[in-house]
Amino acid sequence: MQLQDKYRIALLSAYALGLHGFESLLPTPIPWLRLGLANIITLVTLLLYGIRSAMMVTLIRVMLASIFTGSFLGPAFILSLGGGVTSTLSMGFVLSLSPRLFSTIGLSVIGALFHNIVQLFLAYFLFIQRIEAILLIAPLIIFTGILTGTVNGVISDLLVKNLKNTDVKIQNWI
Amino acid sequence: MKLKGLLSSTTVADRLLLSILIVLSLSGIIFIKEVLPKGQTVKIDVDGHPLYLLPIEKDVKVSVEGPEGKTIVEIKDRKIRIAESPCLNRLCIKQGWIKRGAIVCLPNRVVVTVGDENDDERKKIVDAITG
Amino acid sequence: MDTLVTITVVSGSKDNAERAIDIAFSRIEKIEGLFSFFSTESEISLINRNSGISEVKVSAETFDILDKALFVSEKTCGAFDVTIGPVITLYDFYKKIKPEDALIKKNLDLVNYRELIIDKNRCTAFLKRKGMLIDPGGISKGYAADRAVEALKKNGIDSGLVAVAGDIRAFGLKPDGRPWKIGIRDPRGRSKEDDIMATLEIKDMAVSTSGDYERYFLLDGKRYHHLLDPKTGYPAGECQSVSVIAGDAAFTDAFSTGVFILGIERGMRLLEKMGFNAIIVDSQGKIHTTPKIRGKVEIKRAS
Repeated sequence: MQLQDKYRIALLSAYALGLHGFESLLPTPIPWLRLGLANIITLVTLLLYGIRSAMMVTLIRVMLASIFTGSFLGPAFILSLGGGVTSTLSMGFVLSLSPRLFSTIGLSVIGALFHNIVQLFLAYFLFIQRIEAILLIAPLIIFTGILTGTVNGVISDLLVKNLKNTDVKIQNWI
Repeated sequence: MKLKGLLSSTTVADRLLLSILIVLSLSGIIFIKEVLPKGQTVKIDVDGHPLYLLPIEKDVKVSVEGPEGKTIVEIKDRKIRIAESPCLNRLCIKQGWIKRGAIVCLPNRVVVTVGDENDDERKKIVDAITG
Repeated sequence: MDTLVTITVVSGSKDNAERAIDIAFSRIEKIEGLFSFFSTESEISLINRNSGISEVKVSAETFDILDKALFVSEKTCGAFDVTIGPVITLYDFYKKIKPEDALIKKNLDLVNYRELIIDKNRCTAFLKRKGMLIDPGGISKGYAADRAVEALKKNGIDSGLVAVAGDIRAFGLKPDGRPWKIGIRDPRGRSKEDDIMATLEIKDMAVSTSGDYERYFLLDGKRYHHLLDPKTGYPAGECQSVSVIAGDAAFTDAFSTGVFILGIERGMRLLEKMGFNAIIVDSQGKIHTTPKIRGKVEIKRAS
């Protein structure tokens, strides 16, 4: 890995962390609704620099966020890690399979979907053990995930296009 | 924003995926909100153990102890909510009053489900009564 | 005993099961004959008639139950007292008669388990003062359940349940491999028969409940029930019901009465000391449980 790559990953992680923290400050009018703003950075990284960089950014963001909020290795951390990693992997997998099948918006929705499904599974195995309770909240969580996934996809799409069109190096816009 | 431009940037697969997911999850939500039986009993589980089985008709407040502290479940006018919770995100409280389905508080491991466990059925499975 | 006795057994052979049940029932009948407070033929009546006169030679069962009763009296500091007879007979729960205060005071003097002397070697029992009366009602049903279970086990039964009224003893597992499920009556339930406030599962355990709703009358807005405090001669008021879970039904029967009279705080301390579990409903209807059975009892109503 080049020094420039490290520098870029650090900056992108910092940006993701910032969005993550910003999001936790926002009031959530609808229960279970999480914007998943950090996923924008993951997705942009994935599209511009590939899966390895995207995974690095995700891992650094999850670790640091949980250390800052004091939930490192706690239940929230496990959910966040599981969701983040699977979401990044699923987007990377779909992209490598067929780069033109889904647009940025479609990828973002896929990421959000896997994020939610894995979190529900983890919640079931680790904490709840009541399958009916999980099934009852699953549609609502997945539905809100689709909506936020779409919004994040649109934002990511704009970012990626602008960055590509103007050929601005990532350091500059950060 | 240019909606047209947005639409044109999506692929066929995008639109197909979105429609399928929206239809599936929305029908799931409608099923739970409207089709599911309202249920007669409220079951409270803490850390995987059933702790209370309460009739929905009786207005009560029940306090249960989870790993994080006290969670207060309230039943009023055949509706259920979590009134107080020691968890940080308070998602369980924000969920408000429910008539069916469930409220889950992950941090405090509290699960409240509105079920339909028939009282008569329960009596039958008791082998003997003391008192 | 004019109580409902139910015996349930799990057995591969119907004949074996029926034979064992018959033997268990005759054990219970024999015990009833020995312990009956009202029958003049019973050994308990014989001891009562000879109070202040002479010691009485008794059967091994009678000695055993009195020995157990005295043990519980000792542990409950007299809250359970098998010599409560002189005071309990003053109340009439059918005719709703509350005795005069002076009369209670006078007879209360005759209630003292320390003046019931039993001798193991000679197998005798003696009430020291004239007029003292043993009322085994607070322990005999549980004791009968124990003996019935003993008879079933001796006759090749590996699992079953004996319920002598509300005193239950279960052993082994049900055919489906599950423990026995016991319902605890709601002390303020609408129908007296089947309103259950909680359920619990037991295996090789006994459960008994003492409640203020079993024998009682209401007079001037006050509830007079049969669980009398031997220190005052009046019904104890801190609980609505006490269910005790332990290995031995004679103990659960007697300790549920004792804890009921001791009240929540002292009762809980005693239960902890004895290593017994309990579910107590206090006078406000609030449910208290001992720490070890939290999560094992399914409570069906709010406390």
